Formats: sequence, structure tokens, C-alpha cells
Amino acid sequence: MQLNQIKCGSCGHVNPPGTQLCQSCGKMIDSDYDKNKIKDLMRYDGSAVRSKVRSKSVFDKVWIFFTSVKVGVSIILIIAIAAAIGTIFPQEYFIPIGVDAGEYYQENYGSLGYLYYSLGFHNLYSSWWFLILNGMLAFSIIAASIDRGVPLFKSLHKQRVKKHDSFFRRQRLYLAEDGAADTGALIGAFRKKRYKVKQDGGNYLLEKGRLSRYGPYINHTGLIILLFGSMLRFFPGMYVDELVHINEGETEELPTTNGQYYVKNEAFTLDTYDENDNEVFEQALDSNTQVISNFQTDITFYENNSADIVGAPSDLEKVEDYSIRVNHPYRFGNYELYQSSYDNSQLKSMTFRLEDADGNTVGENFTVSLRNPEENFEVSDDVSVNMRAYSPDFLEIAENGTLVSATPVPRNPAFVFEVADGAESELSLLQIMNSTDITEGNDYSIRFVSAEEHMASVLTLKKDMTIPFIATGFIIFLIGLFTGSYINHRRIWIRSEDGLMLAAHTNKNYFGMKREINEVLRSNGLGKVEDKLDDEDKDIDKE
Amino acid sequence: MKGRTRNILRVSIIITIALLIGITVWFNLTSGTKAVEVGDEAVDFRLTTLDGQEVQLSELTEDKGVILNFWGTWCKPCREEMPDMNAIYSEGHEDYEIVAVNVAENAQQIQQFISGLDADLEFTIALDQSRSVTEAYNIGPLPTTIAVNREGVVVKKQEYQLTPEDISLFISEATE
Repeated sequence: MQLNQIKCGSCGHVNPPGTQLCQSCGKMIDSDYDKNKIKDLMRYDGSAVRSKVRSKSVFDKVWIFFTSVKVGVSIILIIAIAAAIGTIFPQEYFIPIGVDAGEYYQENYGSLGYLYYSLGFHNLYSSWWFLILNGMLAFSIIAASIDRGVPLFKSLHKQRVKKHDSFFRRQRLYLAEDGAADTGALIGAFRKKRYKVKQDGGNYLLEKGRLSRYGPYINHTGLIILLFGSMLRFFPGMYVDELVHINEGETEELPTTNGQYYVKNEAFTLDTYDENDNEVFEQALDSNTQVISNFQTDITFYENNSADIVGAPSDLEKVEDYSIRVNHPYRFGNYELYQSSYDNSQLKSMTFRLEDADGNTVGENFTVSLRNPEENFEVSDDVSVNMRAYSPDFLEIAENGTLVSATPVPRNPAFVFEVADGAESELSLLQIMNSTDITEGNDYSIRFVSAEEHMASVLTLKKDMTIPFIATGFIIFLIGLFTGSYINHRRIWIRSEDGLMLAAHTNKNYFGMKREINEVLRSNGLGKVEDKLDDEDKDIDKE
Repeated sequence: MKGRTRNILRVSIIITIALLIGITVWFNLTSGTKAVEVGDEAVDFRLTTLDGQEVQLSELTEDKGVILNFWGTWCKPCREEMPDMNAIYSEGHEDYEIVAVNVAENAQQIQQFISGLDADLEFTIALDQSRSVTEAYNIGPLPTTIAVNREGVVVKKQEYQLTPEDISLFISEATE
């Protein structure tokens, strides 16, 4: 068989003989790719690619469909394109929390956005069709690996030592010497190069680095474990990623733990770099923004002894205290509690002062807690203020005179205060910075002084039982990549019957192999191997 | 012989992968939408009431049907259906109980709301300050009303304001 250089039909790059995919553009060079694989390149000498053998049942048809490299590559392409489309608009976890996703995409990105939402691109990695695509990829990898790996194993496992003359001549590295040679010494020298030797009469097969051929299959095994790990994320209890919002001084149940664990936010600390005493970050600090040096939540971790009934008053038992900082999570069981951010947007309390008709402040200021307001405030010895009504998010005054709230969140608090000084009492309605007399001719007025916000720490509760799978998958993937890339599978056939005949084959790096063989040959007083490619190069040079 | 091993291998791999994909998609589609539906077993809970007592669902369902009404004082339809529920409940409630589960409000807000009504509320008002019951039932909009029969099974659910007729329907479903 002729060993011709192959010119790529697409890009014109000239490839070495036997190339199936162009070195330059990666296109398939000839349509007889699969046939060549069997006949020419000895990948599967003595064994046929399984899917080419027979096709009978539906299962066989499905199997054969997925063993196709074209199908595999198409699936990868579709996944890549889908992932790319998934970056056009933000994913759902980047849009504001609590907003209806469908409306959000419609409002912000128009009907294209709505289509994006409807097709599940807003939550790409967990959309059903993306999962199915990944499953198909896994199947394609498994089917293709078995279909090619098993025949490969068989053909390498039961290699014949004795080869025909034409086989020798067909190899790229070839040497024929007349006259007797010291075969024993020659074989011994190759043995020192860590070749494994098989003998059949005067025929020898020397081989090393066979593992290289299994590189892609090791690699695929890693990928399958990786895909399996990412599949496990969807199984209940395997993966948790939840935000926990805890106001300073309050205790919250941790989600997904069935009420078993509680955390109290003892104190939240936010330290900033001092602009004056740090030269290292001078440039960053000059930009007039505060640079935070530390977020820290001091927590007390509790276990609930009455977690069996929902809603029952918790019976908390303190486990321990801990300070959660960025990258220093609190760990318990399989969970980790990370410092994520903080929130000081929620109103906690409002402070007021009482003013008489002449504008003089009466008594002391009083503070109303918005979450759980008290109702009576003794401002001075003879004057008291009673909170008669409170609405966290004032909407209107109902027919029966009560205050109506639009939501339970204190966004726009309104109060009805009664001021009593023993002799008489008067009522006034107060919204932030705005007060209306209810009773006529009021003597007193209540003025807003200040408001205090809740300092809430936002923590992320994480649990990921799939990490061991993902990590193992990656390591195996890399081992496979290394094996396939850096180990060379080298085989040398030697026949010493009438004279010496030697042929050699490797799956990569012919140059290195040629050097290795020539070194051994020279030390045994033999000539160099003939590289057919070199000859052709010379021919080309001459032309 | 060889062909048989191959067939078994092929069929089992195809079936395994199809099953795994199916399970994963199913988990994915069902996660987060565990809202209580008719036919489900009602999650048992124990809450403190506005009067400082304790109420437990399983104790009530031992001999009565129970209507759970999740509400808030800031929710208009909730405010409007309360007097209707109260009127029907006051006529007699030998075979059923109403538990109005207030979602995460403080006593002051609830008292303030009740004080604005013409009549005192006769039925139990339970306080779910930590929202744990609301979350266990995966309550979406307020008001949501759920009827639980004596077997502790959810028999009716409605996610909008109840008319007096609806209330009667809920009662008959819960006591059937």
C-alpha cells in the first residue's frame, strides 16, 4: 500500500500519510474514515468495529446511532450552542429575588425574552431538555467507547508475533539487512529500553507504552463519572444552596434541615480599611469608596430537640459559638454556612419626640420597634403617648377607622398616636415626616427624629455531596489526557530468518522512535532504519 | 454466545441511561413545587394561639374536620372573608374546627385588626411567626384555605377569597 501525503480538501494543508482528520483545520479528510481505520491503520487489526457488524433490534439501532462520531460531535455542538444562548440574557438566579420570572423576562427583554423564558434558557442547566442532551452525551460516550474500546483491547491483547513480509514493507520505519546479525544482543538492548518482548520462532514483537492507546477510554471514564456527579445534584438531599437572612440578635431556622438546626446572629461586623494607615492599598482606597476588610457574623449554633412537629416552639440546645468570615464557613454535618453579604435595608425602629404648641420638646424621645411594637410610652411624668394603631406599609384608612397596610413589610410606616396629659387626650396620624391631626386643635405634635435599620447578615447554606464524584471524574479525566498525550505506544517487529528484517510503528512521535531505534541499531553494528516519509520529503525537495 | 452478551450489555446500558435521565428530569420538575394538594396527607403542626394556648392539628382531627385558613391582616380578601367565616362558625361547630393561621405577623397587628371588626372572632387564631407551617404547606398567595378530614387528609384547597357558599362547601368536605 502506498503511503502518500494527503492534501486537505478544505484548507489545503498537506498532512502526513494515514491522517484522518486534517492537522490544520480538523476536517475529516476522506469519507472512508471508518473503513481505513480497520484496514489500514491496524487499530483494530483482526477485529471489527462492533457497530459495523450487525443491526437487528430497536436497541441495536439506538446503540448504533449513538456510537457514531458524527452524532457525538453534533450533541456536543448543540450543548455548546445552547450554553452560548444561555448567556444572552441573565440566568434566573441573577434576576431580583421574588420577581415572577416570566413577567421579568417579558418586561425587560420583550417577546424574545419571554421565548427565552418559555424554552427554559433562563435556567439552562436545569431545563429538562438540557438534562436530556447531557444524558445523550453520556450515552454516546459510553456506547462509542465500548464499541471501539472492546475491539481495540482484543486486537492488542491477542497480537500475532509473526507478520507477513508485506506487512514489514508497509510500515513507515523499515530495515532489511542481509547476513546474520546477533539477534539476542539486539533484543537485549531493546529490553533495556523497557520493551516487552514476545517471541515466536525467529519472530519477535517488542512493545511498550500500550497504555497510551487506552488514554481516550480513561478520559471518557472520567467524563462519565463527572456527568454522573452533576446528575446527582438533582437528587434530593445531594445539593443545597440557600440564602439565610438573619437580623442581628435574632435566631432563624436553617432551611432544608427540617427544623433541626437554628442559628442566632449574635453580632455582625463590617470592618473597612482605614484610609490613613495603609499604604499598600492606597490606590484602591483613594477612589473614595470604602473598602471592606472583613465581614464577620458571630453566631451561636443550636440544635432543636423538638424538631419532630412543624411549628412547635423550638427547644434549642446550644452546640457552639463561631465567627463566620468570608472563606471561613461554619461547618456542621455535610453543610457549610458561608458569609455571603449583608442587608441593612429593613427598618427596625423609629424614634419620635413630642412637641407642645409652642414648639418645645416635651420629656424624652421614644422609640417604636416596628417588628413588635410596644403600645405605651411614658414621655414625662404627666404626659404619656399611646400607640393606637400601626400600619407597616400604609395604604389607607379603612371605613371602620383602622389603618390598612398594603404589605407586612415596614416600608412606609404609619401610626396613630394618642397623647394624654391627664386632663385630656388627642389623636394624630403620623407617616414618615408627615403628620395629620385627627382631633381638632391639637396642643401637641409628634415629630419624627430618626429611624434605625436592621443589620441583617446574609449567609449561604451549602451542601454538595457530589464534590467527590466531580473531583474523581476530573482527576481520571486528566490522567486519561496525560496517558493519551504523553505516552507513546511503540511496537517493533523483528524477523531474523534469512537476514534481519525490522519494522516499527508508533501512534505518535515517529521522530523519537526513529532515534531510539537507530541508537540501538548503531550499538549493534547495524544500519539506520529507513523512514519512508523522509524519502518522500527528499523526493519533494528534488522536485 | 458472544452475540448474547453483547445484546444484554447494550440493552442494559440503554435502559439504565434512559432510567437515570428519566429520574433526573422527574426530580428536576418536581423540586420546589411540593405544594400541598388535595389527596395529600396534611402535615401535622403545633402552633401557639393568640390566646397563648397551643393547638395541634392531629389532636383536632381525632374527632373533627379542620379548616385551615392562612391569612394576614394586610391582605384585603383575608380581611373580607373573616367576618363570614366567623358568622358561620358561630352558628355551631360540633363537627369541625377553623384554625386561622396568621402568617408571620405580631400580636399587635392582629389585635388591631380584630378590634376593628364588629364581632369578636370565635375560632382559633394560630400564630406562625417563623412561617414554618406556611412553608411546610408551601402556601403561595394569601388567603389559602385547606380542608382536612378526620383521617388527616387534605380534601379541598382554595387560593382565593371564600364566599359564604365556599365556606359551607369546605365545612361539608371536611366533615364528610
